[in-house]
Amino acid sequence: MQIKRAAVIGSGVMGSGIAAHFANAGIPVVLLDIPAKEGDDRSAIAKGAIQRLLKTDPAPFMHPKNAKLVTPGNLEDDLALLADVDWIVEAIVENPAVKADLYRRIDPVRKQGSVVSSNTSTIPLGVLVEGQSDAFKRDFLITHFFNPPRYMRLLEIVGGEATRSDALAAVADVCDRALGKGVVRCKDTPGFIANRIGVYWIQTAINAAVDLGLTVEEADAIVGRPMGIPKTGVFGLVDLVGLDLMPHIAKSLLATLPDNDPYRAAFREHPVITRMIAEGYTGRKGKGGFYRLNRDGGAKVKEAIDLSTGVYRRSDKPKLESVSAAGRDLRALADFPDKTGQYARRVLARTLSYAASLVPEIADSIVAVDEGMRLGYNWKQGPFELIDRLGTAWFADLCRSEGIPVPPLVEQAAGRPFYRVEDGKLQHLTTAGLYDTVVRPDGVLLLSDIKRASKPVWKNGSASLWDIGDGVLCVEFTSKMNALDGDIMAAYGKAMKLIGDGKGDWKALVIHNESDNFSVGANLGLALFALNVGLWPQIEELVEGGQRAYRALKYAPFPVVSAPSGMALGGGCEILLHSDHVQAHAETYMGLVEVGVGLIPGWGGCTEMLARHAANPRTPKGPMPPIAGAFETISLAKVAKSAAEAKDLLYLRPGDGITMNRDRLLADAKAKALELAANYTPPEKVTYTLPGPNGRAALELFLEGFALQGKATPHDVVVCGKLAEILTGGPKADVTQPVTENQMLALERRVFMELVRTEGTIDRVEHMLTTGKPLRN
Amino acid sequence: MPIYKAPLEDVRFVLDEIVGAGKLAELPGYEDATPDLIAQVLEEGAKLCEEVLFPLNQSGDGEGCTFENGVVRTPKGFKEAYGTYIEAGWQGLSCDPAYGGQGLPKLVNTMLEEFICSANLSFGMYPGLSLGAYNALSTYGSEALKQRFLGRLVDGTWAGTMCLTEPHCGTDLGLIRTKAVPQEDGSHRITGTKIFISAGEHDLTENILHLVLARLPDAPAGTRGISLFLVPKFLPNEDGTVGPRNGVACGSIEHKMGIKASATCVMNFEDATGWLVGEPHKGMRAMFVMMNAARLAVGIQGLGMAEVSYQNAVAYARERLQGRSLKGTAHPDKPADPIIVHPDVRRNLLTARAYTEGARALGALVGYKLDVAEKHADEKTRKEADEFVQLMTPIVKALFTDIGFESANIAVQVHGGHGFIWETGVEQYVRDARICQIYEGTNGIQALDLVGRKLPQDMGRLLRRFFHPVGVEIEADMEKEELGEFVLPLAKAFAKLQQATAVIAQKGLKDPEEAGAAATDYLRLFGLVALGWMWLRMVKAAQAKLAAGEGNTAFLEAKIRTARFYTAKLLPQTNALFITIMAGSKPLMEMEEAAF
Repeated sequence: MQIKRAAVIGSGVMGSGIAAHFANAGIPVVLLDIPAKEGDDRSAIAKGAIQRLLKTDPAPFMHPKNAKLVTPGNLEDDLALLADVDWIVEAIVENPAVKADLYRRIDPVRKQGSVVSSNTSTIPLGVLVEGQSDAFKRDFLITHFFNPPRYMRLLEIVGGEATRSDALAAVADVCDRALGKGVVRCKDTPGFIANRIGVYWIQTAINAAVDLGLTVEEADAIVGRPMGIPKTGVFGLVDLVGLDLMPHIAKSLLATLPDNDPYRAAFREHPVITRMIAEGYTGRKGKGGFYRLNRDGGAKVKEAIDLSTGVYRRSDKPKLESVSAAGRDLRALADFPDKTGQYARRVLARTLSYAASLVPEIADSIVAVDEGMRLGYNWKQGPFELIDRLGTAWFADLCRSEGIPVPPLVEQAAGRPFYRVEDGKLQHLTTAGLYDTVVRPDGVLLLSDIKRASKPVWKNGSASLWDIGDGVLCVEFTSKMNALDGDIMAAYGKAMKLIGDGKGDWKALVIHNESDNFSVGANLGLALFALNVGLWPQIEELVEGGQRAYRALKYAPFPVVSAPSGMALGGGCEILLHSDHVQAHAETYMGLVEVGVGLIPGWGGCTEMLARHAANPRTPKGPMPPIAGAFETISLAKVAKSAAEAKDLLYLRPGDGITMNRDRLLADAKAKALELAANYTPPEKVTYTLPGPNGRAALELFLEGFALQGKATPHDVVVCGKLAEILTGGPKADVTQPVTENQMLALERRVFMELVRTEGTIDRVEHMLTTGKPLRN
Repeated sequence: MPIYKAPLEDVRFVLDEIVGAGKLAELPGYEDATPDLIAQVLEEGAKLCEEVLFPLNQSGDGEGCTFENGVVRTPKGFKEAYGTYIEAGWQGLSCDPAYGGQGLPKLVNTMLEEFICSANLSFGMYPGLSLGAYNALSTYGSEALKQRFLGRLVDGTWAGTMCLTEPHCGTDLGLIRTKAVPQEDGSHRITGTKIFISAGEHDLTENILHLVLARLPDAPAGTRGISLFLVPKFLPNEDGTVGPRNGVACGSIEHKMGIKASATCVMNFEDATGWLVGEPHKGMRAMFVMMNAARLAVGIQGLGMAEVSYQNAVAYARERLQGRSLKGTAHPDKPADPIIVHPDVRRNLLTARAYTEGARALGALVGYKLDVAEKHADEKTRKEADEFVQLMTPIVKALFTDIGFESANIAVQVHGGHGFIWETGVEQYVRDARICQIYEGTNGIQALDLVGRKLPQDMGRLLRRFFHPVGVEIEADMEKEELGEFVLPLAKAFAKLQQATAVIAQKGLKDPEEAGAAATDYLRLFGLVALGWMWLRMVKAAQAKLAAGEGNTAFLEAKIRTARFYTAKLLPQTNALFITIMAGSKPLMEMEEAAF
């Protein structure tokens, strides 16, 4: 069966978010809620939900136009709409009786063979289908999304005894390919995988912090980077999801968990936290949480709560001896002889042993558990991967010394790791105590798997070249934060040499990596250093070298396909502009943001954007409209909040592809590269018809207006004035004389070098590097 | 017998041409510091140094300090000289008028310090340490402490010290053990032993104020748990007179290689009463105020040593008749030619001179920026000047003291066998100059400070304060024909310095040992380029004055010739240093410890 249309019942935060994400996948969706009691419009609740979606930040829609794919309605007048849909998602209140009543109402009207799923996070499937028709039972399953549905990658899926396997397969497939989720099959147990372990972990981490007298900052410094929850730690994470959510989940787990489950012993209400919730300190969405930004007196001061008194105090970044002494060594951290080491020991021993004791109760394999924690709780490593870091034998000793029973799975491992690499293949330990290969779904190609199985074709300090099969070479950035530097340009050069004319062993090039962000641009730190020391020739060489490399790739005799995910900013955006095809992950955030640091895109970004605006059929005729279009995008440093938005801004072309599931990105890019290689001709060079100083004067007039209104700072005027000079072709251009691409690039270079020598630009670069925020000078 | 004349003409040239005549008087609060007033002050200071301090230098070295029954006696004449020094108000020259100081720019004091150190380095230690204590107390002390003690430090009737080092720790102050126990009345009781305390005990003043680093009972480990305390030798009475003896005593004094007239003491604190200076556990910050000022001051000591060594070498080279010039007889009227006719003797002399005059110019520039950082009306200008001073501090300290020792060595060499004899007086300079390379952070530590702290700070922002003005100046002078022989080699050396900086920054980020291995060579490279910059400026000034028919022609022509020597004979060392830096850390680190 195929799922082409969907419906979501319940337009609360989860339901509407799921509906929005169906729309993001291009799947038309019906959104139903109860009829409004007041007013003329009985569908006002669902309609209001759509309006709310459009205002929510971060946006649930990848593009505002996706809202048109959501058809609102109410559960009395519009039940007939369900007759057309292939999958109905129920996301209403967590009450079995209310749900059962709803199911009975929709069962007769729904299309025969359509699938119904519940987004419940707490109610067992068996309870949900009680008293429903046999057909309903066959078509029913649980699909548990995480909040917010667009951004959280985990989808837990649970089938019942009666559930049709093709229904499960169809839903899993659409969730994987169309919604881009990491689908994890769970058993019908309380809290499934992620919440079951996650809630226990949070409770344990809070208890231990209170008992050992750690501050929230100290606890987060241990749980954060060292244990692999880098951005938030545990208290920061609770602030993010909401303190008030915890008691609800706790209550439902306590109602359903087995009597001897360790969570029962761990569960504890902390008076300070109870009071915080009661007084509205529910986290980031409330008045503050364990942390808050105090704006009293104008300045923003980060504060943290004292766990014993419940009073906010100034938050200090703790410098823990244990963390700096241990470095990346998790064992050394847990062995450190102070209370922070003791904290690490306690949290690791309890949380990981709990997780290890739950397989096969909650899932058939450890792989599912690890994936669930990675995708659902943003852990860098799952519990079994963490145990491997400690060593299974060492971990067993740790459990014993902490007075915790050693989980059978760990006993059975008997010192062997849970994961190993054999013949380049990742294998995991099964519940039978044997190793089995981790199988990837069809159409999933992971660079990390390729890296496990092979050695790079070539590498230097900032990039590696990989053979991804079928004659396709892949450039991976490996520098810190994927910052672009001379070594990456050298890697492009090496790739060009290896591939040659594309008729030999190699046919095509893919640019891709699996980091959170594709690349946030050139290595500014290095650049600022060169700037401070006045190494102008070196900076100019960096600009020219980048231009050379990007242009060479653009006109190479073989296709270049880029496959970005996350942020692609500045120079990281410019490489995409020079690729023959971009296969973007849906969550790709592109932008030419150079103006923010007082610069202009100098690796061909200005030139390419001008060409795109000129080639866009919607751009009005004449020399000025393309210039104005490129000027607006670059001068405002616009960043697309999704791949769909990037198409609006012309960062992506209509023909560029979008892949919803990150794990499928590389395979899609490779397929496109091979398709292009079959009959490839490099692009034609274009020339530009540009007005020169007259056009520049027009843009500058516009800029002055902005400055007068206070919308542009003095240095904005300088930088954007220079941008105007480039986009209008420089001082000698006029409409009768076409400007070549080389001339444009020379102009970018000259202007860039003029700007780096200004104090305003140096101040902006420095401010960005030291504070992470743009300077408005 | 050694000789010394304060280099007043060169100082005036540097103040007028490098700092800019009248620039000091433009700073708020320094309106009176006109070039003429400064010249007058320095002339008086020169007289004191030449006539009062210099004559005690050799005798002080011979006699040394004596220690008996806990009492330290300075050599004969020191007490009287000190009396003359403070009576004329020299101690308070650059101190705040609110506390009885004369409120003159720090630069004037810096210039005077050079004279004092040339004349009598040991003597200079006493007022120098008092000034250090004044700086720390006036920056971090409470109002009550300031009211009670600053005036006495300014008028010089009481002296000061810095008590950091302990028997088991010097460079690594995080290991300090001296304890401070809080008392009900807000004071503290200090207990512990400090060593190598210059001027820790002496007979020059009626009281001594010790600034002591110690740990409070609840102090965190390491440098973040150190506090600073003021501990007087005698507790003052309410009326400010000297009261009962405090629990601090000198245990012994060291027998040293040089600066023998400066008492280097072991100080024992036993339940001594003291008061917290600044915040608890923030003692290192206050200490750095003293230390940074002290590092610049030690650099000036090196300069003073270099100057007096040069003067004595020249005097001897002129009068020592020995053999004939390589080209035949140069002075037929004499039984033999003076050795100054020989190229190698000249190489020695010019080396000392070119370094000394270059260092004086750079020292003056840094001293001026110190005043700008404190007094300028514009905050941005103040900050930028402070960044320049921060960057140049390790260079001034290490480069100038290396120069001081090298010049003292040159002076002995030029004297031949006589230089090795105590009575001649120049071997004392070698011994005295040696300590300057060691204390206030060895020159190796200065180099680490430069590459490890100053260079990476804010992605190299401090560097901007040097590289941008120098780069701009070189670019502007590049086309000028009359400067070609000076600016082209400087441009090349500057480019090497830029490249070395980038390489060290890049390598050092990944491997701190790479930065550490390059540190000393890099500091020297940086220093040579900085002196080259000073020489370019001095050449331009001399050329302009000669063209305008102003000034002392002989002096100005000698300036240009010394610049030529520096550019042609000393600056090229930068090439070798660059190659050494590029060789990286492997040649240093590959040998196993056991193989040494």
